[in-house]
Amino acid sequence: MSNTVTRIRLAVVAAAAGVAVLAGCSSPAPSSDASAASCEPAKGKVTLQYWNTVPGMDKVVALWNKKNPDIQVQMKNISNDQYGTIGNALKAGKAPELAQVGYDELPFLRTQNAFVDASACSAATAAKSKFVPWTWSQSSFGGTGVFALPQDTGPMALYVRSDIFKKHGLDIPKTWDDYAADAQKLHKADPGLSITFFDPNNAEAFNGLLWQNSAQMYKYSGDKWHVSVASDQSKQVADYWQKLIDAKLVRTDLAHGSTQMYTAYQKNQIASYVGAAWGYSMFRDNLPDQAGKWSIVPMPTWGANAASGDWGGSTVAFMKGNKHLYESVKFNSWLNTDPEALALENKLGGLYPAATAGSKLPALSQGVPYYNNEKIFDVFADSSKNIDTDFSWGPTQKTVNLSLQDAMAKAAAGSGTLSDALSAAQATALKSMKDQAIPATAGK
Amino acid sequence: MTDIAPRATRVVASTGGRRRHRGGGPRGRTIAAFLTPFFLPFVLFYLVPVGYAIWQSFLVVRRTGGQYGTSYTTFGGFEQYTKVFQNDEFWSSIGRIGLFGVVQVPVMLFVALIMALLLDTPLLKLKSFFRITAFMPYAVPGVIAAIMWSYLYSPQISPLVDGLKSVGLHPDFLGPGAVLWSAANVSTWLWTGYNMLIMFSALQSIPQELYEAAKLDGASNWAIAWQIKVPIIAPSIILTTVFSIIGTLQLYAEPAVLRQISSNISSTYTPNMLAYAVASGNNYQQAAAISVVIAVITFVLSFGFMRLTSKKAGL
Repeated sequence: MSNTVTRIRLAVVAAAAGVAVLAGCSSPAPSSDASAASCEPAKGKVTLQYWNTVPGMDKVVALWNKKNPDIQVQMKNISNDQYGTIGNALKAGKAPELAQVGYDELPFLRTQNAFVDASACSAATAAKSKFVPWTWSQSSFGGTGVFALPQDTGPMALYVRSDIFKKHGLDIPKTWDDYAADAQKLHKADPGLSITFFDPNNAEAFNGLLWQNSAQMYKYSGDKWHVSVASDQSKQVADYWQKLIDAKLVRTDLAHGSTQMYTAYQKNQIASYVGAAWGYSMFRDNLPDQAGKWSIVPMPTWGANAASGDWGGSTVAFMKGNKHLYESVKFNSWLNTDPEALALENKLGGLYPAATAGSKLPALSQGVPYYNNEKIFDVFADSSKNIDTDFSWGPTQKTVNLSLQDAMAKAAAGSGTLSDALSAAQATALKSMKDQAIPATAGK
Repeated sequence: MTDIAPRATRVVASTGGRRRHRGGGPRGRTIAAFLTPFFLPFVLFYLVPVGYAIWQSFLVVRRTGGQYGTSYTTFGGFEQYTKVFQNDEFWSSIGRIGLFGVVQVPVMLFVALIMALLLDTPLLKLKSFFRITAFMPYAVPGVIAAIMWSYLYSPQISPLVDGLKSVGLHPDFLGPGAVLWSAANVSTWLWTGYNMLIMFSALQSIPQELYEAAKLDGASNWAIAWQIKVPIIAPSIILTTVFSIIGTLQLYAEPAVLRQISSNISSTYTPNMLAYAVASGNNYQQAAAISVVIAVITFVLSFGFMRLTSKKAGL
C-alpha cells in the first residue's frame, strides 16, 4: 500500500468526520419565538444591521445615521437573492437585526423561527395605529406579537388606456362582467387588440385577484392550518379568467415586466393593465411617449361592494438574535412612519407606503403629470382601505406559488384549466406543509 | 505513552514494505507533496459536500410545539427517496430530458464529426478561421447564450421571427411542442464547436503515412474519412458522448432562462430545475435526495454507455 492510498484513506476519514461535524449542526434547535424579548435601551453606541432590496435605501439610512450618532445603521442590499441570503444567515446564526421580508414570506420564515417578538417595546405595540389595518394584521400574525413593521404595499387598481377606450366607445368597467363585455367589444372591433394580458407565470398577481374576492386560502386556528386554496371564491376568479383565455380575449404570451410586455403596450395591442400601486412608475419610465394616455381607476368588482386586493409590498422584520430591540424599534418606526423617510423612499425606491401618513405626502397627494395630472394615489389609497384584513398567507407560500404557476401555464397552453391549477396548488400546499412537519388540514 | 514510537515505526514500515525501489520513503513523500494540492481541495470542496448531501437525503424534518414551535431534523431512512420515486414530476422531467438527449446528442455529435472531418481535409482553405469560428460559441457562457437566443425566439422583438414572417412562415419557438427543441438548439449551438475541437485534435494525431498507404491502395477521400479516420478517433467520439450525456442530465441554464419568456417551461422542467425549486422551498432534504438520484442515473448511463462501447474505444 502506498503513501498516497493512506492519504486518500485518511482524507476519506477526515471527510466523514467533517460530515459528522456538519451533521452535528444541521439540526438547529432554536428556542421558540413565543417569549417576547426584553426591551432595555443599550448603554452607549449601538450598530444595527439592516438588509433590504430597496433602490436608494442607502440615502435614507445615511439620513438616519446623520441624525442619530448613537444608533448607527449599516445596510446591505440583498436584492440578488433576498430569501436565500436571509435563510443562509439564519442557518449560520448570523442574521441581521432587521431585514426586509415580503408579506407572503412572513408565515414561512416564522415557521423557521426567523423572528423575535418586539412587543416588549411599547413603541412597537403603539405603532399599530400608524399603519393600514391589513398590513398590521399580517405583520403581527393577527395581533399575537410584533414581528415586523409594515413598509410598503401594492394596493391594486385598473390602468386604462383612455384614448383606446374612447375610440371604441367603452365605459370604464365597474364590475368584472363589464370588463369582460368590454373585452368582447374591443376584440370584435380589432382582433389585434386585447383588453389585457394574463401572465400564467405570475402567482403573485393572481393571488391579488383572489384576495380581492375574499378567497381566504389559509386560516390558522386550533393549532393547525386550514387550507382552502381552491375555495368557491378562488374558483370564481379562476373560471372568469379561463373564459377570457378560452375566448382568446386576453393574451397569455407575455411575461409581466418583460420587454415583450412593454413592446405589446408600445404597439397599442393592449388596452388596460390590472396592476398595483408600484406599477405607476413602470409605465411612466418604460413608455414615456404614452404620457397622457393612461388613467387609473378602481379595480372592477365582483359584487356591488367595493373590494380590492394587494400585490406585493414588504415589511421590515425583527430578526432572531436581535440584542438591541429598543434601538431597532426606534429606527424601524422612523424608517416606516416618518414623513421625511417615507418621501425619500417613495422618490428613490418607488415605495408606496404602508403607513397611513403616506397618503399625506406631497408626492402622493398631487396630480401626476404622466397620468394627465390625475391624483392617481387617491385611487390607490381608496383601494388600500378596501383590502380584506382577514387574508393570510400560507407557511409554504413560495412552493405553492411555483406549483400554481406551473399548472396555470399548462392551462394557458390548453391542458387543464385555471381551476385545476388551484386544485394542484391546494394539493401542493398540504404536501409541502407535511414535508415541513407543519400541522395542516384541508377545508375552511 | 511509551509504545507510541514503535507503533509509528510500524506504520512507516508497513507502508514502505512492498516498495520495489530502495529509498522509497522520501520519494513517496514527494509524490504525496505533489498530490496534496489536488487532494485537499478535492476532499474539502467535492467529497465533503457530496457526503453532506447524501447525509441530508436521509433526514426528515420534525417539529415540536405546533407550527411556530421548533423544527429539527432526524434520521428518516429512505423516506425522502420514497418521495422521489413517487414524484410524477420527477419522472416526467427525466423523460423530457431523455427525449432531449436521444435527439440532441446524436445530432450535435454528428454535426461536430462532419465539421471535424471537413476541417481535416487538405482541400479546405482558411482552416484556422473556421476552427476559431466554430469554437467561438463555447466561449459564451451558457446563460448569456440562452439570453441571446431568447431574444431571437421572442415573437415580439425577434428579427428572426420577423424575417420568417415576411416569407410566410409563422414559427412559434416558445410553444408547448417547440420549446424543448428551442432549448436543444441553444445547447447544440453552444457545444458543437467544443465537441468538434476534441474530435479534430484526435484527427490531427493520426500519422499521415496511413493516408498515403490508403491512397496507394486506391482509397477515395470518402473511404479514408469513414473507414480510417472515424474508427481511429472512436475513443474521442465516445468521450464526447459521455460528456454530452452528463451535460444533458444536468441541463439547467438554457431552460431556466427560456422560462423567463415562455410559460411552457415549468419550474420542474428538468431534474436539476426540480431540485432547485424544491430547495428554494426550504425542503433541503428532499432536494438532496433528488440530487443523489440524478447523480446515480447519470453515473449508470454514462458508465453503461462506456461499457457498451469500451471494446470499440479501447478504453
